[in-house]
Amino acid sequence: MARIAPHVLRSYLFGGHVLARGCLRRNPVRSPALQKYHSTQASLADTDPAPTIPIPFRKQLKDEAKRRKAEGSGKKAKEDNQKLEDWELTVGIEIHAQLNTARKLFSSAASTINDVPNTHVALFDVAMPGSQPAFQKETLIPALRAALALNCTIQKTSKFDRKHYMHWDQPSGYQITQYYEPFARDGHITLYAHDGIAKEDGGRIDIGIKQIQMEQDTAKTISQPGDIHLLDFNRVGLPLIEIITLPQIHHPSTAAALVRKIQIILNSVDACVLGLQSGGLRADVNVSVRRRDGEEGENEYSGVKGLGKRTEIKNLSSFKAVEDAIIAERDRQIEVLDAGGKIEGETRGWTIGSTETRRLRGKEGEVDYRYMPDPDLGPVIIGQDLIDHLHESLGVLPDHEINILVDDYGLTTKDAMSLVSLNEGGRHEYFRDVVDEVQRLAPEQDLKEAGRLAGNWVLHEMGGLSNVEIDEEDPLRMTSDGDCIIPSTELAQLIHYLDTSKITGKSAKKVLSELFSSGGSKSTDNLIDEAGLWFVPLSDAEYEELAKSILDTRVVEQILAGKDGKINFLVGQMMRKDGDGRVDPQQAAVVLRKLIEEFRK
Amino acid sequence: MVKVHRPRSVVRAAKALRELNPGIRTSQNRFISRAEQEQDGSGAGRRSPGEVAGKSKEPKPSSAEESPWWADRRVAVKDNIATAELPTTCASGILKNHQSPFEASVVEQLRSIGASIMGKTNMDEFGMGSHSTNSFFGTVTNRPPYNRFSVGGSSGGSAVAVADKLVDIAIGTDTGGSVRLPAAYSGVVGFKPSYGVISRWGVVPYANSLDTVGILARSCMKVFKAFVSMREHDPKDPTSLSEMSRTRAYTNGRNRWRDLRNQHDKDFHKLRIGVPEQYNIFELDGRTRRAWQRTLMLFQDQGCTIVPISLPSTEQALPAYYVLAMAEAASNLSKYDGVRYGTRSTSSDGAGDVLYSESRGQGFGDEVKRRILLGSYALSSDAIDNYFIKAQKVRRLVQQDFDRVFSMPNPLRDLEQFDLSKMDESIPLNNKLGPSQVDLIVCPTSPTPAPNLDDIANQRPVDAYINDVFTVPASMAGLPAISVPLKTRDADGPRFDGMQIIGQYSDDDRVISVAHELEKLLRIDDASGLWRKGYRSLMK
Repeated sequence: MARIAPHVLRSYLFGGHVLARGCLRRNPVRSPALQKYHSTQASLADTDPAPTIPIPFRKQLKDEAKRRKAEGSGKKAKEDNQKLEDWELTVGIEIHAQLNTARKLFSSAASTINDVPNTHVALFDVAMPGSQPAFQKETLIPALRAALALNCTIQKTSKFDRKHYMHWDQPSGYQITQYYEPFARDGHITLYAHDGIAKEDGGRIDIGIKQIQMEQDTAKTISQPGDIHLLDFNRVGLPLIEIITLPQIHHPSTAAALVRKIQIILNSVDACVLGLQSGGLRADVNVSVRRRDGEEGENEYSGVKGLGKRTEIKNLSSFKAVEDAIIAERDRQIEVLDAGGKIEGETRGWTIGSTETRRLRGKEGEVDYRYMPDPDLGPVIIGQDLIDHLHESLGVLPDHEINILVDDYGLTTKDAMSLVSLNEGGRHEYFRDVVDEVQRLAPEQDLKEAGRLAGNWVLHEMGGLSNVEIDEEDPLRMTSDGDCIIPSTELAQLIHYLDTSKITGKSAKKVLSELFSSGGSKSTDNLIDEAGLWFVPLSDAEYEELAKSILDTRVVEQILAGKDGKINFLVGQMMRKDGDGRVDPQQAAVVLRKLIEEFRK
Repeated sequence: MVKVHRPRSVVRAAKALRELNPGIRTSQNRFISRAEQEQDGSGAGRRSPGEVAGKSKEPKPSSAEESPWWADRRVAVKDNIATAELPTTCASGILKNHQSPFEASVVEQLRSIGASIMGKTNMDEFGMGSHSTNSFFGTVTNRPPYNRFSVGGSSGGSAVAVADKLVDIAIGTDTGGSVRLPAAYSGVVGFKPSYGVISRWGVVPYANSLDTVGILARSCMKVFKAFVSMREHDPKDPTSLSEMSRTRAYTNGRNRWRDLRNQHDKDFHKLRIGVPEQYNIFELDGRTRRAWQRTLMLFQDQGCTIVPISLPSTEQALPAYYVLAMAEAASNLSKYDGVRYGTRSTSSDGAGDVLYSESRGQGFGDEVKRRILLGSYALSSDAIDNYFIKAQKVRRLVQQDFDRVFSMPNPLRDLEQFDLSKMDESIPLNNKLGPSQVDLIVCPTSPTPAPNLDDIANQRPVDAYINDVFTVPASMAGLPAISVPLKTRDADGPRFDGMQIIGQYSDDDRVISVAHELEKLLRIDDASGLWRKGYRSLMK
């Protein structure tokens, strides 16, 4: 399951950074010079905020857990914002993502993430008079993968249209997009509780996807002091997809979860470059409210009737911005309606850290895009064979993987998500190898039991290993194929010994750390032999001797006086004293009772 | 309008030619006239082609493809076709300094077979006009005694360059008649091929779905030579007819021209010529009607069958054409904002509250502005259903009209069964199987002979659009059409008229070769004087 290989290669070739294999892989170290290029290149917004690294999956999980905990303990902070008694919120989202392709949409110029400005520009990219578009059919592949992953119906015939508006970043005066006949329609995305949806949405919710269309990116504006704007046409004509959801979202956090989930899915099918935070993805949201008990609204959007008048908030560049902007706009609309006002259909903007949306332009300032079928570009005909091939080679999507891990392997959702997200899927591969081996050693063992056991060791015990001398980011050197410093067979052997009480848990941890520091040069059997860690039960005499050594007359008197619980304290003392973990608590308790009874006499 | 005192022609000199004669640069509107050249002694008109072309181009490397026929052929190129060594202005103020970094495929093709590119020809700004009066560089005028009449547009410069014998062949563009109309008014042959057969790469688009590269020459044979040299699939042009369709629809061969003529010697009498009754309009000039009759009689004398046909969508074709062409033009011209292309006004981009309105307002001529506004309106969300969409439907009907009357099926479309009950009542049925079908359609190129320039100056813009009424249907359907010149005469003296031959899609070769036969018949008829006598008896 070698995933996302092209972008790894790309980040190496163009970004100059080698893929880190640890769970910190999303935090690559770049030279300051490269970082500068990256920051000017990567964002779709005109004035780029410094690029922020996409939230690692783990952090997302942590935050999610924190949030749920806060909910449980009755802390009400933002949560109040998710639901309102009297009003229903309705949100639809448009997400723009840059396709992961070698060439631009309509020219053979290379699509680069960071290169010297204006070095990858074909005649058509700058709309040279007399030049014509040459549709690069390879761009369909990532676009189709994205559409299939979002459960869309691929249209056999789709067409390109011109969307007219003038801006200096658009040399032809129009953007080529798919307005009348997009290439994919009628999809849906399923969000689960673990994706971070609002608790009002329950365990899962389906959000419909109206359509996905292909379109061109614009040139990059680099603003200079003194009202000077430099244009980099490397970006003009890069292929984007726009994903348009139905207005079926009713809670701000579900909207943020949807954007995040779409990003994860697009990454997992290798459709797009970069994440939302770094500008490869950008979201526009449309927001409307209506009274829950009042009469239905008069507006219909994307076939959903009875909605309130909606406004659109453009250019949101982070998950938090999506959520916060929706809350702010919802509250503003409610305030206006409560005061007896009317909502105007308008376009609004949002600044990060702000508490209110601001008006950009109203209906009267609305641009009439004068959509026209592009007369140079014929229809795109997509064969069923291509769709079938891409469908088959799509691989298992993250949600499906998680379901298998939870249902068949007995993992918790949280562990399943961690497993899937670590090491480009390598940790998951490794886990499966370990489970297979454990099952081979103990064929009668239940898969769930083996899975739980292996999951604990692969995720938590191995996660705790570290070595300052080896690459800190990834001490395990886990590859995306599931190879690492500790061979899966050795770990499986260790788990098997532990499970069959051949060694103690404490010894097993010791052996694991030895396996790690020896760099895989020694086998589990060797290490246990060398350190003499095979579990040998204590003889009765040894138990007695051990018990006598820790007996304390004061505690004994207490027990004799009726405080029977204190016996466990003594058992604990025995176990601590032994140090090798060979003491069986039940056996120890029997021996102790015998000795104490002797005292009574 | 500036009063024109002496004949101004059309070939804009090669840059090198200007360097050779710096004085020429100061000549009016950057378009040198032949008279001026002769005055300052450069004698470009009489200059041997090699001398002139050698300046605009390094000595030609001889290639295997070079044909001896082309070696001493001089070619002029309309100024909306990109050339790497000469500016490409589209006769617009907004592109007055535009030097294209690349060359159009047609120019490359012509160079590769050894033709000499003499210069760029004047035109209506961006191809928008019917009389070549809408140029930033001034009106194109004809040689005496025709200098008071319109040369036709928009490829007027190309037509006059050919008529004046400055070049052998001129390349123009035909969107709704822009090659055929000037050919008719200037007395040369003008051919518009089937859509997509000649590459448009490097042709600055007016309306992409209608634009074709056309050929003007003094004889049909030269038109044919140029046409076969340029009809190649071009992967750079997404609308270029595919190799596969070409092998199906076109015959090539060394002796294609001879073969075609041999075939006519045998089978010319079998031709069925269609005469569309809707083209006999009220506005049709008497001289033009007589020219039409004369042409049909010449064909009939050869044994051809003249068949009245009906093209019921003709009336809607012209308005539909202007809606579509202007919509596409408005879109195509939005790139000229002064940022990448176009001369930039000195005021700020945002002046006047609309981005770039100052730059665009200064750079474009009135007719271009008019069409941008009309085209933008036709595409606006309020009007698109009533204009653009309706016009597309009319276009479809026009195509069906032609497919129904031509006996040859359209190779681009599945064979269509025309339901008799749905057919327009005006269509005469030949028998119970339906209307009769024809090989070619013969009709005038324009409703009148070349109009007087003074009359044009007093016309409303819409009056000029009416000139395209006979040329537009073939453009809408993407069909090959050729205009063959006829001389007419009245009290004002001689002037030119054109007869148009329209064929089914991909029937280009037959269209040109039948035009060649007509050319011959007209020459014999003119020489014998029989026509004038016959006409008098007809009028009695």
